[in-house]
Amino acid sequence: MSLPEPGPATPAETLPGTATPPNLRRRTHPITPVINGVEVISAVALGLIAVGIGSIRSLAESQGLLLAVLWLGLGFLVVLAVLIGAYYLAWQRTEFFFDDAGDLRVDSGVLTRNERRVALSRLQSVDVERPLLGRIFGVAKLRIEVAGGGDSRVAVGYLSEAHATALRAEVIARAAGVHPGAGEAPENIVAIVPAKDLLISQILRSETVILLLLTVMIVLGTVLTEGTAGLVLVLVTGGLPLVNVFNEFIRSFNFTVAESPDGLRLRFGLLKTEAQTVPPGRVQAVEFEEPLLWRRRGWVRVRLNVAGQNGAEGETDNERVLLPVAPYEQARQIVLHTLPGLDPQAVELLAAPPGARWRAWFQWRHLGVGWNESIFVTRRGWLTRYTAVVPHARTQSVRVTQGPWQRRLGLASMHLDSTPGAVQIVALHRMAPEARQLAEEQLQRAARARREGPAQRWAQQRQTEPN
Amino acid sequence: MDAANPIPIDQTFAPPGPDWRPVSPKLTLARRMTLALVMVPLLIALVVFVVLAADLRLLGWLLLAVWVVVWVWLWWLIGRRVRSFGYAERTDDLLVTSGIMFRRLTIVPYGRMQLVDIQAGPIDRMLGVASVALHTAAATTDAQIPGLPPAEAAGLRDRLAALGEQRSAGL
Repeated sequence: MSLPEPGPATPAETLPGTATPPNLRRRTHPITPVINGVEVISAVALGLIAVGIGSIRSLAESQGLLLAVLWLGLGFLVVLAVLIGAYYLAWQRTEFFFDDAGDLRVDSGVLTRNERRVALSRLQSVDVERPLLGRIFGVAKLRIEVAGGGDSRVAVGYLSEAHATALRAEVIARAAGVHPGAGEAPENIVAIVPAKDLLISQILRSETVILLLLTVMIVLGTVLTEGTAGLVLVLVTGGLPLVNVFNEFIRSFNFTVAESPDGLRLRFGLLKTEAQTVPPGRVQAVEFEEPLLWRRRGWVRVRLNVAGQNGAEGETDNERVLLPVAPYEQARQIVLHTLPGLDPQAVELLAAPPGARWRAWFQWRHLGVGWNESIFVTRRGWLTRYTAVVPHARTQSVRVTQGPWQRRLGLASMHLDSTPGAVQIVALHRMAPEARQLAEEQLQRAARARREGPAQRWAQQRQTEPN
Repeated sequence: MDAANPIPIDQTFAPPGPDWRPVSPKLTLARRMTLALVMVPLLIALVVFVVLAADLRLLGWLLLAVWVVVWVWLWWLIGRRVRSFGYAERTDDLLVTSGIMFRRLTIVPYGRMQLVDIQAGPIDRMLGVASVALHTAAATTDAQIPGLPPAEAAGLRDRLAALGEQRSAGL
């Protein structure tokens, strides 16, 4: 693989909706180094302050408060300038283009040259990320994920809004096997999560309640031992549950689910907005999560396993959320509408054997497993109940496990392995032979389902399908 | 194996055919050697402690006794664990079993294998064993067969890779 010829890299001259000619090298937007620098420094700023608080205080004492602040500000500017300089070098050496085979190539690296090829035929999703600073300057970053191990994620950022949208549309069009000049596919909004529900759901999360209890305990403890002077410190720690609620609310604000020929489009965020696309047929598993405190209102959270990788930055590792909160029936309808066939109600679940009572004292009543011609469903959990739904064809492998306590009771658990993600599909505490049978039969069902074949160039397939 | 004749309870982890193919007993030796590499320096440290720390000598002797117990127990456990490993190749999938207290059976269809690789650390290489690891798109697929003689490992890997390629079925 030869190094790219030195030559001027031009900004994209094509209008949205036109296909870029192959091998046209482009650079990202010049504001990129500034945004990267600021992002990094704001991330480490708090850390640096916390570490250097001792020296800052002594500086304030010796030089006076005003001078100390000025010195601090100067220090930050110097560090920021250095960071921006480094990112500028990196930006200069970053180029992207579509090669003759139609794949996206990203070349980057200052000292070590890094050439990445993104095979669009295995595209999993294209997400658009707009941090606050990016929105101010009108730029956005694309995150492209493809299936496969290791090097399957690439970020192209930042690009101006128009170019980001155009590139996203082109990447998706190429992956779908449609002519790349087709432009952005139309969309049809399926659901928007109301802000009030979002806020209440976050307050009612068990983490919030636990943090609140901890805060009360800390407050009581501090008041009893140190008197009201310690309360100042406590106010900082006491803010923790509120900060948590606030963060989650900001991240999932205005959560919109839309469907388009490209797949599912998820948009959310208040300060930093993100737009995720999940191409059809890439969803590996769905899970309905019912926390205890939400049950009275009948709310659920819907999470997905999407092959290819993690969700966007800020989400806990590998968690892709379809709906942060919604009433159960509405959630079920939305899932049915956007992911046909994945309906937990369509399947009758077999309850756990009576012996399971001694192993899982509280959970056993809620355990269940079932299947029909297209999906496999498991249910588990006591305080928070999880119902997982997997299409047979998405079975990667199966496992049967048995701990010593299970062995005493003649039980075993059957696991269905799916791509990395929050959804775990496990039939807990079945009779041991049944677990083995479940495993073997599931593989047969999976093989049968796979003979129909997954969608790769899904737009082409759709066109050839009879209506 | 059907609804009328369910698998008997002790057959849950039974091999599909006559037997599990075992792994080489040299794996026991390899693992015990690794154990020794960890335990011996620990012993030396403890002895030094007992010799030098005069007032904590009782604690030192206690720790030495614990060390002996741990050594003996792990030594024995290694033997048992290695014997619990087994694998079987079927027409459409591979079965791997392991574990004594926490038993585990993994079944991986050939078409789902994305990567098959062979690993061997320095002690393994010295004793002539290698470990074959299968990877699918799932992180939780846990199909690793340690302690195979290199020829058998290479043969298995080639067969698996060929079958995987043949049956490969997207994601």
